[in-house]
Order: sequence, then structure tokens, then C-alpha cells
Amino acid sequence: MRIPSATLLVVAAIFCHAQAEELSFDFKDPRGVSQVAFSLDAPLESINGTAKGIAGTVLVDPDNLSTARGKIVVATKSLVVPNPIMRMHLLSKDWLNARSNPEISFEIKKVGRVTKKSADASEVEVTGTFTLSQVTKEVLTKADVIYLPGKLGETTNNKIHGDLLVVRSNFKIRRSDFGIRAGEFLDKVADEISLFVNLVGSAPRKI
Amino acid sequence: MKPRSGSNKVVPLLRALAALSAVAILACWISLGAHMGWSQTRVPVQRTDAVTASTFTDYEERFLPGVDFLVAGLLGSAAIFALTLVMPNSKAGTRR
Repeated sequence: MRIPSATLLVVAAIFCHAQAEELSFDFKDPRGVSQVAFSLDAPLESINGTAKGIAGTVLVDPDNLSTARGKIVVATKSLVVPNPIMRMHLLSKDWLNARSNPEISFEIKKVGRVTKKSADASEVEVTGTFTLSQVTKEVLTKADVIYLPGKLGETTNNKIHGDLLVVRSNFKIRRSDFGIRAGEFLDKVADEISLFVNLVGSAPRKI
Repeated sequence: MKPRSGSNKVVPLLRALAALSAVAILACWISLGAHMGWSQTRVPVQRTDAVTASTFTDYEERFLPGVDFLVAGLLGSAAIFALTLVMPNSKAGTRR
């Protein structure tokens, strides 16, 4: 039986469209734009720092964000604060124990309400599991998601073409919930930690 | 004028050193920004990525002295001065 070439073209187009629906965004960012900043109160000045050792993959259909799934991992030893002694304490076994707990992670479990803000930007409600110091807690947060089709080339001098996905979110955790010196040194280091997430994921495409 | 002998020569030298170091530390702290927090060896700087419009923190590798630097420096100067008060043959305790 001969299949008309027009039918083949339609099938190919449908197949290609189905393939293009879900994109795999890699959140390893060699440019250093992606980071998770943290801030917590302390007597002399608040402790502010960042973590840039970000990796992970999220599968996203830009037209249907509610199906997004994936995991973002932050290398504990990539946490930086401006004071070197403070950083040494932070990564020591008394606090984060970076040697035994090399990763901090967030895994998407469910994407709830999606609110379209503009053609490429949406606000989503995300439920996920946040793991810190080998303790996992469920976290519900809102995130701004911006899909930038074709923008990857601008960050790679057009060596690699593809799309970018920007994710921004702020949420708070308590160190006591993760067993980090729970109830101790509360006059020096606050229990509540504010996290400011700013991630850029890239999905290369073949031209 | 007769030259002073023994530790009588050292005492004014140490006091001058204490005063000079206190002034130098204060001047250094003020000139480098008079930072009221802890000392920093990398200073955060806010940058914006042109492609994604994301604002992110970058670090400049330089020393920014904080109040710990100031206090430690002034305490060191005070310690040098205090040393002159307990030195033998020092007349600092009796003279005005």
C-alpha cells in the first residue's frame, strides 16, 4: 500500500509538534547568573550570601506549565558569604556540614494554579520537597516563570541555539525544621532564613 | 638637654607607635568605606544580566575592613599604650 506523501508530511508535523511540546531545561549555568541568595537576621548585620553551584533538569511544556517536573540541586560547598570565617563556620559540621551533606535540593511535586502575566511570563504555585541537611520538608511557594524562546544564542555568542527559562521565587524556611542547631544561638543567628531563587535554564535546539 | 636612658627612651617611642597605629587603623577603616558590619574579603556587587533581565550578586575579591578590624586594631594600640604604663622606670603613672 502506498501512503500519500501529504499524509506522511502531516504525520511528521504532528510528531515534531508533540516532540517540541515538552522541553528539557538544564539549570547548570556557566555564566553565573543563576543563584540562590539567602538572608537571615543577626545582631551586627544580617547574614547575606549566595549559592551558585546549581544543577538539575526540569521538563517543561511552555504552553502548559502545570505539567512541569524536575529537580534543582545546589552544591552546599558553593555557599558564599563575604566574611571568610563566617563561611568556614557555615560549612562546618556544626552547621551545614557540607562534607556529609553535599547537596541541597528542591524537587517539584506538583504545579498548581498557573496565572498568565504576559505572553511569555506566568506565575505558578509550586509544591515541592526541599531537602537540607538530610531532612526533607514539603514547601509551597509561588514562582515567576519566564519563557524566552530563541534567547539561548544570545548567551553563547550564537554557538548554541535554543530557549531559556527564567524562574524566580522567594520563600522562607526555618533552620530548626531541618535540625540545624534547633533552638540554639537564636540571639546570634535567626531561625528564619529567607531564600531568593533566581534560576536560568537552557534548552538547546538543533537548527 | 640630657638624653634619656634605658626604658625612658622606649616609653615615648611605644606611645608614639600606639598613637600612630590607632590613627592609621582609623584612617584605613574610614578610607575603605567605614563598613559597620563584619570585615569582608569578597564584596558583593549587584549586576543585571542583559538577556534575562535577572539581577544577581557577584563578588569582587577585595578587603573591606569592618568594625571587627577597627576594634581589634584599636585594642592593639591600647595594649601597646598600656604596656608603657607597666614598664619599669616609667614615670607615666606619676607624671601628668
